[in-house]
Amino acid sequence: MAGIKALISLSFGGAIGLMFLMLGCALPVYDKYWPLFLLFFYILAPIPYCISRRVVDDTDSASNACKELALFLTTGIVVSAFGLPIVFARASVIAWGACALVLTGNVVIFATILGFFLVFGSNDDFSWQQW
Amino acid sequence: MAGFLDNVQWPACLDLGEKRNTVASVAAGVLFFSGWWVIIDAAVLYPSQEQLNHAFHTCGVFSTIAFFMVNAVSNGQVRGDVYGEGCLGRTGARLWLFLGLMLMFASLIAATWILFGAFVVVPSRLVYPGLSIFFQNLLIFFSTLIYKFGRTEDLWG
Repeated sequence: MAGIKALISLSFGGAIGLMFLMLGCALPVYDKYWPLFLLFFYILAPIPYCISRRVVDDTDSASNACKELALFLTTGIVVSAFGLPIVFARASVIAWGACALVLTGNVVIFATILGFFLVFGSNDDFSWQQW
Repeated sequence: MAGFLDNVQWPACLDLGEKRNTVASVAAGVLFFSGWWVIIDAAVLYPSQEQLNHAFHTCGVFSTIAFFMVNAVSNGQVRGDVYGEGCLGRTGARLWLFLGLMLMFASLIAATWILFGAFVVVPSRLVYPGLSIFFQNLLIFFSTLIYKFGRTEDLWG
């Protein structure tokens, strides 16, 4: 099954992303924990799409207003997760080096979340007993 | 001379097909939220009333209200395709869309006016906050257009 290898690599990706985020906060030269607010965005990011898939049952129609609104909101959450460290760095709340580490972590985590949806998301019968 | 570019083709004329709605939604999301983060950035860097008058934030708020107004009615409702009358029917849908678009254009014009009237012609003031107000409204404007007209409502792509 394609499940286990994908799951392991996705969880590795998630761990690496969180590592970058923690490095950006905890390294002695930075030592500012403001970027931990991004965890809020990481948790929020999959929610709109999951809600839209549970609420709307017709997977056969190509266009679906609820799914598009969910994609819009998810994109907004991703953009906000990139914007917040940049605004922090411009306001000199964190250092630019910390901002760069946090942005790298962002990229990895969102790639992991996207990978999760691509690998485990598209199934014909949306059942929770997938694995 | 006429039509000498007729045989020139766009190198990758995007045939998005089924993914058109997805691409339009994502593009609209990027633009809309980038607009808001631009103004958040300016508000954080220039918090005082002299540098960025707090009343100027109303343009962005009205742009956002207009975004939701314009996208609340579907093209089908404006054409009268849907069965089952809403409270006001097709005319109501058209009026709502008209008001939303008018609010959107008014916010964009107001933002341009603020940029030039309150920032560019006042030499003692930094122009960046004015630019951020302008770009916020411009980005939300394009986001509205893309979200409204970039998606197709045909069920089969």
